[in-house]
Amino acid sequence: MYIEIDGISKTYGRRVKALDDINMAIDKHEFISLLGPSGSGKTTLLRIIAGLETPSAGRVLIDGKDVTGQPPHQRGVAMVFQEFLLFPHRTVVENLSFPLRMLHLERGEIARRVGWALEILSLTGLENRYPRELSGGQQQRVALGRGLVASPKLLLLDEPLANLDRELRQEMEIEIRRYQKELGIPFIYVTHNQEEALSMSDRIAVMSMGDVEDFAERTIVYNHPKTPFIARFVGRSNAFHGRVRSVSSTAMVVDCNGIAVQASNVGARPGDEVDLYIKNEKISLLRGTAAGENAPACTVRDVILRGNFTEYLLAAANGQMLVAGLPAGAETFLPGEDVTAVWDEAAVDAFVRRLQ
Amino acid sequence: MRWPSLAPSLWIGFTAALLCATYAFLYVPIVHVALASVSTNTMWPYPPRWSTAAYTALIHNRVYLEALMNSAIIGLATAVLSTAFATAAIFGLMRYPGRHRGKLLLLYLAPLFVADIVLGISTMVFTNLFMGIGGNLAVAILANAVRCFTYAFLIIAVQLYRYDWRLNDAAMVFGATPVQAFREVTLPLAAPALFSASLSTFILSFNNLEISFYLLGATPTLPAVAWGTLRYGIRPELFAVTTLINLAVILGFAAILISLKVGRHRRLTQAEEVRGLT
Repeated sequence: MYIEIDGISKTYGRRVKALDDINMAIDKHEFISLLGPSGSGKTTLLRIIAGLETPSAGRVLIDGKDVTGQPPHQRGVAMVFQEFLLFPHRTVVENLSFPLRMLHLERGEIARRVGWALEILSLTGLENRYPRELSGGQQQRVALGRGLVASPKLLLLDEPLANLDRELRQEMEIEIRRYQKELGIPFIYVTHNQEEALSMSDRIAVMSMGDVEDFAERTIVYNHPKTPFIARFVGRSNAFHGRVRSVSSTAMVVDCNGIAVQASNVGARPGDEVDLYIKNEKISLLRGTAAGENAPACTVRDVILRGNFTEYLLAAANGQMLVAGLPAGAETFLPGEDVTAVWDEAAVDAFVRRLQ
Repeated sequence: MRWPSLAPSLWIGFTAALLCATYAFLYVPIVHVALASVSTNTMWPYPPRWSTAAYTALIHNRVYLEALMNSAIIGLATAVLSTAFATAAIFGLMRYPGRHRGKLLLLYLAPLFVADIVLGISTMVFTNLFMGIGGNLAVAILANAVRCFTYAFLIIAVQLYRYDWRLNDAAMVFGATPVQAFREVTLPLAAPALFSASLSTFILSFNNLEISFYLLGATPTLPAVAWGTLRYGIRPELFAVTTLINLAVILGFAAILISLKVGRHRRLTQAEEVRGLT
C-alpha cells in the first residue's frame, strides 16, 4: 500500500493515551476521512503523519519508505489547516510560492505552478492581496492551493471547512473531491462532521478515544455500523435499549420498555441486554394503529420540514420519542394524528452489551 | 462625554495652543543645547553670537571622543546581546511551553527589580573580588545586558504573545527547516518588536551611568563625563557632543522613514513582476 500506519500509539505522560495501536493502509488513489468527535485522536494522528508530532510507538510509511524519524520538511507531504494558517505578511502569490521556494525550484517553474494554482482555484485577480484582505472562502482556497501547488505525495486536511458557512462548505466538498481524483494523490481528511466525511470519502475511519472503531467504505460505515459508537455517531438514529425476550435461529425479539423490536440475531441469548439503533429514514409511517413487532403505536407531535425530506417527531405509548424521516412527496401526516411507526428487521443495528 | 459648548473656533485655537505647548516643552531644551553649542556664551546664548569653538574644542578633547566611542560600543553590544538573548528566551518559553514556564518567566524578569546602582556594585564585587577581573568594557557590557535583557524580553514578549506558533508548523510542513521557518515567518512578524527592543536597549545602555560607572574605573563614558562636569564645571564640549548625538538621532529617524517608503514601493513593484510572470 502507498501509505501504511503501523501500530501507531501516542501517550502523553504516563496515563493519557491519545492513540492506541492504530493500523491503517491507504492506497494511492484514495480519499480517506478520519471521523470522530473532538478528543478522539484524529488530529493527533494527522500531525503524526505530517511529522509535527512524534509517536510513542509505531511507524509511518509513505510510498514504501519509513518516515517515522523524519522531520516534516523532508516528508514531501502538505497540509491544509482548520485556521488556514496563511502567512499574514505574505501576499497570495507569496503564500502559494512558499512550498516551491523551499524546494529551490527555478523562477519560471515557480511562476508556472503558481499560475496553475491560481487558475484551478479561481484566485486570479487576488494575486497581491494579503490574507487579511480575503474572505473566508478565498483564504480557504489559498490554503488549499498552497497544499496542492508543490505536488505533494499526500495531502492532509485538518477540518478545513469548519470555518466556512454551510453553502460554501457544500461547494468546497465537491471541489476538494474533484482535486483528489484529478491529482491522483491520497487525501486524508480529518473532520467531526459526518456529512463531509460521507460526501467526500472513499473510506472512513471512525475514531473514538484514541481507537479506530472501524475503517471501511462509507456505505458500510453508514449502513452497517460495526460498533454502537458508530451507530450513534454516523447518521441520525433512534436508540432503543432492552432485554432479549426470545431468539430464533435468525432473529431475536427485544422488549424495549413496552416496544417490541425484532432484529436479526447477533448471537444474543434470552435475557441479554442489547442496544438497538434504527436510522430515522428507515422508519416509515402507517395511518392508524397496528400491533406486533417493529410497529409501535405513536402520536405525531411535530412535523419538521427539511426540504428534500420531512421529519416527524413521534411519541410512543411508553413515552419514548422517535424520529421518522420521510422523503418529500411521501404521504403526509398532521400533528396529533395516531400513526404506527414501522421498519424492517434489517434496518435494526443491534449490539449485545458486553460486561465491561 | 459631551464637550462643553464653546464656539468651534475657540476649541481649535485651544487645542492648537496645547499642541504647540507640548512640542515646546519637548523640544525647547534640545534647541537650547543646539544653540548653545554654536554660540560663544554656552550658558546664555540669547541672542547667539555664532562660534564653532565648542566643536573645535570637542575634536581636540580626547576624553569626550573616547567617552562617545565607549558609550557607543556599550550601547551597540548591549543592544545586540540583550535582544538576541531575549528573543531566544521568548522563543523557548512560548514555542515549547512546559510546566516551569511561570517560574522561568519570573526568573527572567527579576533583574528588573534590582536598582541599577546595586547591579553595578554587585557585579563589581563579583568580577573584581571573586574573579579578580578589573573593570573593563566587556564586564560593563555584560552587566548592562543583564538589565537590558529584561526590557527587551518584555517588549518582544508583548508582540510574540499573540503570535500563532502553528504558523511555524505550517512552514515546516511546506518544506522549511525549523531555522528557515523562523527566518521566513517568525522573524518578519516579530521585526517591529526586535527593532523596538534593540533601540530601547541601545538607548538605555548608551545613557547608563550607574552600572557602567562601577565597572569601568578610569574608562570614560558619556554619562560619566557629563556627570563629572557637574562637579568641575560644564564645558562647551558637552553641548557640542549632545547636539551631535541629537543630530544623529534625527538623521536616523529620517533614514528609517525613507527606507520604509522605499521598501513598500519595492514590494509593490515586485508583486507586479510576479503577476506579469504568471
